[in-house]
Amino acid sequence: MDEFQEILQDFLVESFELIEQLDQDLVELESRPDDLDLLNRIFRVAHTIKGASSFLNFDVLTHLTHHMENLLNMARHGDLVIDADVMDVILESIDLMKALLVRIRDSGEDSGLEVEPCVLRLDAVANGTSIPKSAGAPAAAPEPEPVVTPATSEGEEDYSGMSEEEVEAEIERLITLRQAEDAAKRAAHAGETSTAQTEEEPDYSGMSEEEVEAEIERLITLRQAEDAAKRAQKGSEPEAPKAESAPAPAPVAAPPAAAHKSESAPAAKTAAPAPKKVESKDDENRGGSAVEQTIRVDVKRLDHLMNLIGELVLGKNRLIKINDDVEERYEGEAFLEELNQVVSIVSLVTTDLQIAVMKTRMLPIGKVFNKFPRMIRDLSRELNKKIELEITGEETELDKSIVEEIGDPLVHIIRNSCDHGIETPEMRLAAGKEEGGTIQLKAYHEGNHIVIQIIDDGKGLDAEMLKQKSIEKNIITEKEADTMSEKEAFGLIFRPGFSTAAQVTSVSGRGVGMDVVKTNIEKLNGMIDIDSEVGQGTSMKLKIPLTLAIIQALLVGVQEEYYAIPLASVLETVRISKDEIYTVESRSVMRLRDEVLSLVHIGDIFEVERVFDNSEHAYVVVLGLAESKIGLIVDSLVGQEEIVIKSLGEYLKGIEGIAGATIRGDGGVTLIVDVAALMQMAKSVKSTVGQESAEAKGRSGAKNSPTDYCVMIVDDSKTDRTIMRKALEPMGITLVEANDGVEALNILKQGEYNFDGMLVDIEMPRMDGYTLAAEIKKYNKYKNLALIAVTSRTGKADRMRGVESGMVEYITKPYSPEYLMNVVKRNIKFNEGL
Amino acid sequence: MSEKLQQIINKQHKTLSGDDVKIDEVIQLVGFIVGDEEFSVPILSIQEIIKPISWTRVPQTPPYILGVFNLRGSVIPLIDLRSRFGLEMQKHTEETRFIVMKNNDDVAGFVIDRLTEAIRLPKKDVGPAPDTISEEESMIDGVGKQADRIITILKVGKLLERNF
Repeated sequence: MDEFQEILQDFLVESFELIEQLDQDLVELESRPDDLDLLNRIFRVAHTIKGASSFLNFDVLTHLTHHMENLLNMARHGDLVIDADVMDVILESIDLMKALLVRIRDSGEDSGLEVEPCVLRLDAVANGTSIPKSAGAPAAAPEPEPVVTPATSEGEEDYSGMSEEEVEAEIERLITLRQAEDAAKRAAHAGETSTAQTEEEPDYSGMSEEEVEAEIERLITLRQAEDAAKRAQKGSEPEAPKAESAPAPAPVAAPPAAAHKSESAPAAKTAAPAPKKVESKDDENRGGSAVEQTIRVDVKRLDHLMNLIGELVLGKNRLIKINDDVEERYEGEAFLEELNQVVSIVSLVTTDLQIAVMKTRMLPIGKVFNKFPRMIRDLSRELNKKIELEITGEETELDKSIVEEIGDPLVHIIRNSCDHGIETPEMRLAAGKEEGGTIQLKAYHEGNHIVIQIIDDGKGLDAEMLKQKSIEKNIITEKEADTMSEKEAFGLIFRPGFSTAAQVTSVSGRGVGMDVVKTNIEKLNGMIDIDSEVGQGTSMKLKIPLTLAIIQALLVGVQEEYYAIPLASVLETVRISKDEIYTVESRSVMRLRDEVLSLVHIGDIFEVERVFDNSEHAYVVVLGLAESKIGLIVDSLVGQEEIVIKSLGEYLKGIEGIAGATIRGDGGVTLIVDVAALMQMAKSVKSTVGQESAEAKGRSGAKNSPTDYCVMIVDDSKTDRTIMRKALEPMGITLVEANDGVEALNILKQGEYNFDGMLVDIEMPRMDGYTLAAEIKKYNKYKNLALIAVTSRTGKADRMRGVESGMVEYITKPYSPEYLMNVVKRNIKFNEGL
Repeated sequence: MSEKLQQIINKQHKTLSGDDVKIDEVIQLVGFIVGDEEFSVPILSIQEIIKPISWTRVPQTPPYILGVFNLRGSVIPLIDLRSRFGLEMQKHTEETRFIVMKNNDDVAGFVIDRLTEAIRLPKKDVGPAPDTISEEESMIDGVGKQADRIITILKVGKLLERNF
């Protein structure tokens, strides 16, 4: 029983491997229906599975694969032209085959699935009769003659003499017979008795050349020696050719060519499954010698190994630290050099070992990519689009755990590209593009990352349309939409509930898929970058770290604490002076080249007590995750280090913003920042970055009554000034009006009032709001004067200009009086108690 | 001489076997002081007792969770029992210890003011927790009475239960 289980396991593993290849081959076949190599390969898969399953008594599977084999055999001989309809049937049968295999894997038997309809369709296609769609197929039937040798056409006649059922029955009978024999033979082999073999020998010589037989035997023996584990299939493989050659022994024996060398196999096509098999065995032998080089290892063992390496890396880090300390203390001592050498060797070997173990866990991403040609094919038929898939870099390797996680996101992205990206052929033609769309799937390494890029040449993303849809679905507010950059708008497609599809189809429209993509990629510490141009297409770039357990991290300090940030999420670090931090609507931002980056202090997120705040400068770590970015202000940058992720344990798990902990070289514990969570938290954290300057404001004199607060209203419109005045009067503060920038500046310079705030219209004659603000900010004594823009300009560029010129708030007209009052109160630090 | 020896051996046997009979009824505890009170936990729930080492603060946690520390490669939470019991936190002294307790897979270190001793207590001397505290909430498993003192026995499972 155990032996049977072992054989069954091998059968399943190999079958699934074969099928993986099969899908790709089949799709390729559709574009190149006359590629004999491909056909042969596909045929062999069906054949191999049939052989093995019959040996293992999976009757249903055997039945199905047998009919598939029949059909494929016809195609192989040119009796049948493979068109899309035939392909549909073949693909259907392969799906069924997969389902059966899965069932076998799970329950150990192949019953319970209805194969008969599929078998009937297969037969129908093979006969070229009852399926109306495949009407074109029989036309190809007369063609085989030119290809086949006289000997084989004899064989053909043999077949055609019988009815389809008869042939089948005959074959079935012979197979069963042969299986029984073969099982016996295998048993004999196992027991190393040659009796069974000798028994069979007359049988062989009776039907074919000794040479052929010897060759087969040689190969079998070789094979068995090579790979005992694969005996199940190999044992059953030779049986099949024998079975097939049985109905037509004459033709096989007739062409002596067949006996000579396997290359001559094509000469004896139809009747020559035997030489065919010889050829295929050759192929497999080549594959076989490669197989010999590999061992299947339980993933658990590799995981364990990886854990141990993790410990070793920690030990190494610690050793290096100690070495440094020792070096400091005993400088110049002779033993130091020796210690140094040992430490560097240990560290070198550890690093190599780590890389080596990581490599054992690497799988080519082709494992994931393989299923896409089939998916694209199905989708393009379903959606009535012409879509071509180009895959490059499928040999790129990455960690097994990541390979497992990446499959789903890719499926969603590609479905999305097919459904929303690529247009229908008519639309494409109308847009002056080629009828068929192309989706490129690329994988390549970039530093410590693997980049997977999905590029389509479809209609691209329309930022405005995305915003519109998001507003409709209440994902964002109109205000948010206004301030959104194009990139941010593209990011909307990842929001849960977002969908541009007018209706829910089987392919998409539920607004779940891309959300899944984002969560999965973030889970892997990956980033998503979308680029798109309307009408030109979309490119989606997934950047994923190569491994998960041991990562590179940037260590940062805040006060006396240290945190590790996964380097994968760090885009860059910049040193800025505190002046470069602006406050917009009580959030800190800075300008990074041509982008506005919102800032958050790590201390605000992790509740670090700010005891001292010495420098004028701050370090900003620019974090990028999926499609969003944020600047994290830290006190110091410590450096880059290799860290091993450890969990905080059951008691402390799920702490917001903390992904885990690691042990540093000095034996201390350092927490690892969960960048995704941090970004979420940053949204709700109140900024304290600019607060020092706000406190300094107190120096402008104590406020004893509301009238001690003084606000200037600068607007060229009398109505607007009145509206503002009416809104602020209830506060009881002193209000001064100015007609334009020049007047405002003059009032300010006179120094009659000590202004706390200024409401500034942007568009004014003589001097506009921006210029006024810039002028005011030139004077250090007005540095803390709160400038609030009140305007109908709402564009992002306007806001940015406002920030640059020194505005702290941006109020858009129209506004409610309460809103205005609150903004003013907040900005002039109005003390309600007065 | 040999007779005497035999007697002693016999005596030892007696006490030993006597102990054997008793052993089921005796529980072994480790006593320690937190604040002004003596507490104890079953000795079998203690993984080890160490002198204070440095730890790392973990944000977003209640104040009684000091953070995490490194115990030979494992990252383990550190809980201040004074603070957990609502007492003022105190500077660590020479006598301060971390008791690492475990309950199934849950492990955590607890800061205590000082250790007292290992206690063997007959089961019959252990009374139930005072019923003023509801059964669910109570961290107290029972109260042990010994000659001149009362020892509170803590529920390790409850101590290791996350309650925030």
